[in-house]
Amino acid sequence: MTRAQQHISLGLLLSSVYLSCSLGLIPLPSKIQDEVIPYLPFWVIVSFGAYLLFKLGLGVFTFNDVPDAYKELMGQIDQAKTELRAKGVSVD
Amino acid sequence: LDQLVGLAMLVVASVVFLYYTIWTLLMPFVDEDHPLQSLFLPRVWAIRIPVILILLGSAVVGSFLSVVMIRSNRKKALKAKA
Repeated sequence: MTRAQQHISLGLLLSSVYLSCSLGLIPLPSKIQDEVIPYLPFWVIVSFGAYLLFKLGLGVFTFNDVPDAYKELMGQIDQAKTELRAKGVSVD
Repeated sequence: LDQLVGLAMLVVASVVFLYYTIWTLLMPFVDEDHPLQSLFLPRVWAIRIPVILILLGSAVVGSFLSVVMIRSNRKKALKAKA
């Protein structure tokens, strides 16, 4: 089973559960049915966005500078630019 | 400076997540006259704000994409003419 198949099957499972809940096929206390179920997809989207932002912020916060790798990378970029210019590709 | 940005992103993400979770999942079970209700907007906005943000975000992304594509096509046309 590929990763895509796994993700798609999980997504189908969750959406079928949510669909059955929102169509009233499962008897739920009316408070939950009317007030919580309609907001669940938006809650999922908002929390996914918050999780991504959290992960980004954590990565930015705990990133350490590496000056040697920076010099090496800049050198490699210049080398690649000169080689491409020699072959006729327009660079910058 | 970038540590500050990272920290700000962390804090904003956690605050947004906590506020939205409490708003959508807990407030239905809180009575109308509890003082906590005054901290939260009317619940219709819990759907409107994400929808507006999604529409705005896709508009920005779409316009950026179109500007870049038009610019690159114009460059290609200029090059083909010259």
